[in-house]
Amino acid sequence: MIYRETGNFVTNYFKDREIFPLKFDKIIVIIGLLFLYLYVPTTSEYTLSAHVVPILAVGLATVGLNILTGLTGQLSLGTAGFMCVGAFSTYNLMLRMPEDFMSLPVALLFSGIFAGIVGVIFGLPAIRIKGFYLLVSTLAAQYFVWWFFNSYAWFLNYETSGVVAIPPKMYDYWGLGNLLGIDMQGYPARYVLALTVCLALTYFAKNLLRSNTGRNFMSVRDRDIAASVMGISVPRTKLLAFFVSCFYCGVAGGLYSFCYIGNVDLMIYEIDRSFTILFMLIIGGLGSISGSWLGAIFVYEFLIVFTWVGDTIFQGAFNTAVVENVSNMVYGVFIIALLIREPGGFAALWATTKQKLRMWPYPH
Amino acid sequence: MTDILKVENVTLTFGGVKAITDISFNVREGEICAVIGPNGAGKSSMLNVINGVYLPQIGTVTYDGVERRTINPRDAAIAGMARTFQNIALFQGMTVLENIMTGRNLFMKSSWLEQGLNIGRARKEEKENRLAVEKVIKFLQIESIRKTPVSKLPYGLQKRVELGRALVAEPKILLLDEPMAGMNLEEKADMSCFILEINKEQGITTVMIEHDMGVVMDISDHVVVLDYGKKIGDGTPSEVMSNQDVIDAYLGVSH
Amino acid sequence: MDWVYLIEVLVGGLMSGVMYSLVAIGFVLIYKSSGIFNFAQGTMLLFASLTFVKMTENGIDFWTSLFIAAGIMVIFGIATERYVIRPLANQDLLALFMATVGLATFQEGFSQFVWDSDVHGLQMSKFLDIGLLDPAPIFMSDHIPWLDILIPKFDIFASLVAGSLIVVLAFFFQKTKTGLSLRAVSDDHMAAMAVGIPLQTVWAVVWAVTGVIALVAGLLWAERVSVSFTLIEAVMKALPVILIGGLTSIPGAIVGGLVIGVGEKLGEIYLADVFGGQGIELWFAYFMALIFLIFRPQGMFGEKLIERV
Repeated sequence: MIYRETGNFVTNYFKDREIFPLKFDKIIVIIGLLFLYLYVPTTSEYTLSAHVVPILAVGLATVGLNILTGLTGQLSLGTAGFMCVGAFSTYNLMLRMPEDFMSLPVALLFSGIFAGIVGVIFGLPAIRIKGFYLLVSTLAAQYFVWWFFNSYAWFLNYETSGVVAIPPKMYDYWGLGNLLGIDMQGYPARYVLALTVCLALTYFAKNLLRSNTGRNFMSVRDRDIAASVMGISVPRTKLLAFFVSCFYCGVAGGLYSFCYIGNVDLMIYEIDRSFTILFMLIIGGLGSISGSWLGAIFVYEFLIVFTWVGDTIFQGAFNTAVVENVSNMVYGVFIIALLIREPGGFAALWATTKQKLRMWPYPH
Repeated sequence: MTDILKVENVTLTFGGVKAITDISFNVREGEICAVIGPNGAGKSSMLNVINGVYLPQIGTVTYDGVERRTINPRDAAIAGMARTFQNIALFQGMTVLENIMTGRNLFMKSSWLEQGLNIGRARKEEKENRLAVEKVIKFLQIESIRKTPVSKLPYGLQKRVELGRALVAEPKILLLDEPMAGMNLEEKADMSCFILEINKEQGITTVMIEHDMGVVMDISDHVVVLDYGKKIGDGTPSEVMSNQDVIDAYLGVSH
Repeated sequence: MDWVYLIEVLVGGLMSGVMYSLVAIGFVLIYKSSGIFNFAQGTMLLFASLTFVKMTENGIDFWTSLFIAAGIMVIFGIATERYVIRPLANQDLLALFMATVGLATFQEGFSQFVWDSDVHGLQMSKFLDIGLLDPAPIFMSDHIPWLDILIPKFDIFASLVAGSLIVVLAFFFQKTKTGLSLRAVSDDHMAAMAVGIPLQTVWAVVWAVTGVIALVAGLLWAERVSVSFTLIEAVMKALPVILIGGLTSIPGAIVGGLVIGVGEKLGEIYLADVFGGQGIELWFAYFMALIFLIFRPQGMFGEKLIERV
């Protein structure tokens, strides 16, 4: 079995549009899925809880931001705010809706919709406002949402500490835990939920990107006057982008709170988080879904690796402040260097590498 | 032969500048109408008025029997107007194929949900529209570059892609703004053939702004001459070419 | 209606607005000359004031510290232009904005890494023997009999500083040749290069000057909120200011600052009850900017974006 891209001729338009055109790729995908679903849940709780699950959550948010900023060109710094809407919605739905009707996956779906609606509301100004001026809208969203959930204690079920630990029973949807004898609050189960949601939504995003809607998004990004001249409704396209993007961010927020941290906590969803996700997006490459995942993995792992290096090699010489400062310095330099060298981010680097590999050992 | 387009007494001002002053002309269905004139004469502005990008202060444009002073560019597109731009308005972040596919957006009725799931109606539409787009790609002989990002293409080819994008919308009227600007002799010949064929085979009315007199004389049925925002000539190519005002305008006689 | 109270609130808002404007001016300067939305403005403030404070704390006198800090900011500005901006000159504005976000992150880490993360109080009156810096407020009723309000002397000083800065900058942009070059550069880098304007030099100058402005603004702000990481947060508020005023207008930055300053104060006092919670100043400024921009998408004095097809 050789990785052979040549001689692979398509015979109809459906085949031309496949995400994994090569048979070899398809096999890798299947193996990958088996690996993800059968092997990974058996790894240590530490691996799952500190590495895999959080990356799934922030990666999804990055994909969401990508749809808005990468594909449609609407700059947004409100990502964490929309995640916040998602997290709080999920919690409140699970808390207050009858158990037979509401279960975690369903709650995630609805919170995504709520987040999407909030996104559309804050996206309305985008019809009139363009360019950097649009930042004001998503920043307003970020701060307003935070203030809103902070001011009305009802959302946190009047928990005085400001943080709510998610009760175990919220994890057991449809009584699966009892049925299959699994601890649904355990990390393997949370991981499987997060994985499934992320895979499904990533697949959806990839399809969207290659479809008419995706092209509409990109045309609004590239040349909106030409787009409208061709019959594309620019306002409608922008609002749809906001809806879909914030849906993803909302679901990501739900995953972050439920599957990763286990708490609903406002501190998670401050403006820092929006920036972190923006970094993941840029480093990964605007407009590339796989790039978003690469960026998320890189940025997230960097921090962990750095702390680990500090702890083991330098024997804990780095306290948290130093870690944060140096990692900020490195992020900063990295972003600048990447933008200079390869504005398309990791995704573009990967494409260039593949191209070089195709040519290897010839230089060009 | 009816008039598919009637421009009546259109005046367009920007601040204090009168871009177009009281211009009227008619375009017959199925003809190639060339709009010519020195730079700054108001030709692009005229096209923008027809298509709704600019709103004239005075005057109306009657298209397909409906008289309006202003039209939303989107409605113009739905009504069957397609156009190209002087400075190429292709979507630089997409490939040739994707750009031309955007021209079919009015034909795609499936919802974003269906498209995201890649099911049923979305799949069918994508295939059907791809078929239509491939026909145009074949016609314009750009098969080999269909997966190339347009930003990597030379100017002449980009103009061809832009023509493809307009054509694929199955318009009733094509508005071309300097479709041959910046092309060499060979490219111009190709482009002229395409435009002629589009007009003769598919009967699409074409209004084009053009500077190359040779091309204008060769392929157009009707010529409208603008200078300083006013119409100074209107008729067949030979009529217009022998018009003293037109000659003066081009030779630069002081007004 | 307690008019005197209202006036006091208004004056307070105006003063606060002046502070915002100081930060905004730095943004506008860079945007006006290069089209870059310099997200690192806030962190520049932090870095500048932190440098200054650390030096004075170590016993270096006021003017020397000021001079050295200014020098460091100039060097930093030139270095930024050379290593960050210049290599990215032919990329689109979004990329340049991202670069400034990267720069901001770097600076944030760097400032606190090199100096430290503690909070440093700053009392300039300790250093400068100017009556205006005396922390005691002026009783306006001493001067205008019916105006029974207090205005901190410091705020007056800050307004004077801001005012003179604006006048100088406005003059610079409108009347000098360099100012003209800067405006040309901001309109179109390529064209400016084509007519022989030394792009690199111009930008280096702009970034250096902005650095010094950041120092001045940072010091004034630090007096109010002390030098710490939270300085950056306070500075984020300058964003709605420039957006209201228009990204390309220095007078706009002032007016925007005043509008936000006053609006915030008024909102806090009169509207807080309506929204049933405190802390609405968190988002109120942004909402004001938002509503404003909806009616005037390019800000009060900003240049209208004209797209030619």
